[in-house]
Amino acid sequence: MTNSAYISGVAMTRFGKQPDRTIEQLGREALLKALKDAGIERRDVDEVFCGSLFGGTLIGQRILRDLGMTRIPITNVENACSSSSAALREACAAIAVGRAETVLVIGIDQLTRLGGGTIPLEKTDIEVNLGFAMPALYAMRARRYMHETGATSQHLAMVAAKAHEAGALNPYAQFQNRITAEEVLASRMIADPLTLYMCCPTGDGAAAAVVTTHKRAAARGKPVRVAASTLQSGLYKTGFRDMATSELTVRTSKLAYEAAGIGPEDIDVAEIHDAFTSAEMMYYESLGFCGKGGALGMVERGDTKIDGAKPVNPSGGLLCRGHPVGATGVAQICEAVWQLRGEAGKHQVKGAKVALTHCTGGGISGLDHGACAVHILTT
Amino acid sequence: MSNAKAELKPDREYFPASRPWKEENGEVRLIGMRCAVCGTHAFPAKDICHECGDEKGVEPALLSPTGTLYSFSEVHAKMKGFPSPYVVGYVDLENNVRVFGQVEHTAAELKVDEPVRIVLGPVKSNADGVPVISYKFRKR
Repeated sequence: MTNSAYISGVAMTRFGKQPDRTIEQLGREALLKALKDAGIERRDVDEVFCGSLFGGTLIGQRILRDLGMTRIPITNVENACSSSSAALREACAAIAVGRAETVLVIGIDQLTRLGGGTIPLEKTDIEVNLGFAMPALYAMRARRYMHETGATSQHLAMVAAKAHEAGALNPYAQFQNRITAEEVLASRMIADPLTLYMCCPTGDGAAAAVVTTHKRAAARGKPVRVAASTLQSGLYKTGFRDMATSELTVRTSKLAYEAAGIGPEDIDVAEIHDAFTSAEMMYYESLGFCGKGGALGMVERGDTKIDGAKPVNPSGGLLCRGHPVGATGVAQICEAVWQLRGEAGKHQVKGAKVALTHCTGGGISGLDHGACAVHILTT
Repeated sequence: MSNAKAELKPDREYFPASRPWKEENGEVRLIGMRCAVCGTHAFPAKDICHECGDEKGVEPALLSPTGTLYSFSEVHAKMKGFPSPYVVGYVDLENNVRVFGQVEHTAAELKVDEPVRIVLGPVKSNADGVPVISYKFRKR
């Protein structure tokens, strides 16, 4: 008999360029607020999982030592941009087997330490050495997707405008300005067809969640249950791959829906991996929110706006809330929990009872993405 | 990119240094691998077949000199050592091999599923500004 995992506390720092703070300060801010949200003390934490891509060795310990929170088991998790989603899955497993009752999950990265530019990739990778970069990968996917579905740059721009509409309502978002689809199209080209405002920014930030048993979460009030916590890695292919569909996302989300005993039609609100607006469209389809090519209509009708039929990324998503890579997984969980508790303020989706988060990670040659983590949360 | 010819040390002039290609009869073919056990082809060559796990039957194989451009993008972001902009793409060769590389021409001159062939040419500059040669793709 395994124990269901519940989330009793969430918090995040604002995301954005914060080079004057140390990475440890960012981590501390998020985790202390999360403990307070959960109504617990530092000494109540049994284990910690910390997800980060560029935080450096022993990032969890470096954040926790000044709080007197070391000695307990601390595990640092790296799965590129899915690092903290993968960390959350480990926390849920610790609760499930009964080896811990209160587990702290942190997601953190400070990309301003890297000096700007695209995310540095594996130096020994043959494709990287020939000019491969994440924006180029997403751009090639976008071009193929547009070729097969008839999607246009206008659709890509509308998704960005929607993200900003939501981000403007989120005090934690890196960007809080509304922009028009025209402004998105007019912004400078990064890797065609993707212009600057179709791409998520780099930045710094941390998010934290307290994962615990039903008993402790119910004692706090407004418990949120983790109905599914699924992780898969990319399928290695050296030949043809359909780049207009994310096989990895289809596979991971199917497992998540099965674990939760629901289907995509039951999802009231979703936080998905919109590193680039073309990806968001493709993921509507890969997550089963619509059929192949159905994303065009969803965008045109505004279905995925906060007040639409299928709200996606009410936080502003990676595009607007920001993407300090390791922090994103838990930041998506923060939004999902606030939505389910009815605490999302101006970006609240009415009556949200079932939330999905979807986080993919990184690029190495031959794989769609290195990893994909899908969580389903319910009230 | 700089045209400086300087003293090119062979292991810095080409990428990869192993020069996994063969030029003959005006064609350029990449040297990939073929698994004698299950018939899988792949590039670059490695010492194990990822499909069947065999390590003993893996052998070098000349891949097709032509293919189809599955998708491409013109990269305008500044990438150290690379011209700006430059075009990259994924090309499907025969025997189910997909290769990533730079594509000659601008994006405006290309279309999805464009027939292409493999050529050799500069792909970037190394730290001294000296051009590095590798395989790339051109319309045929």
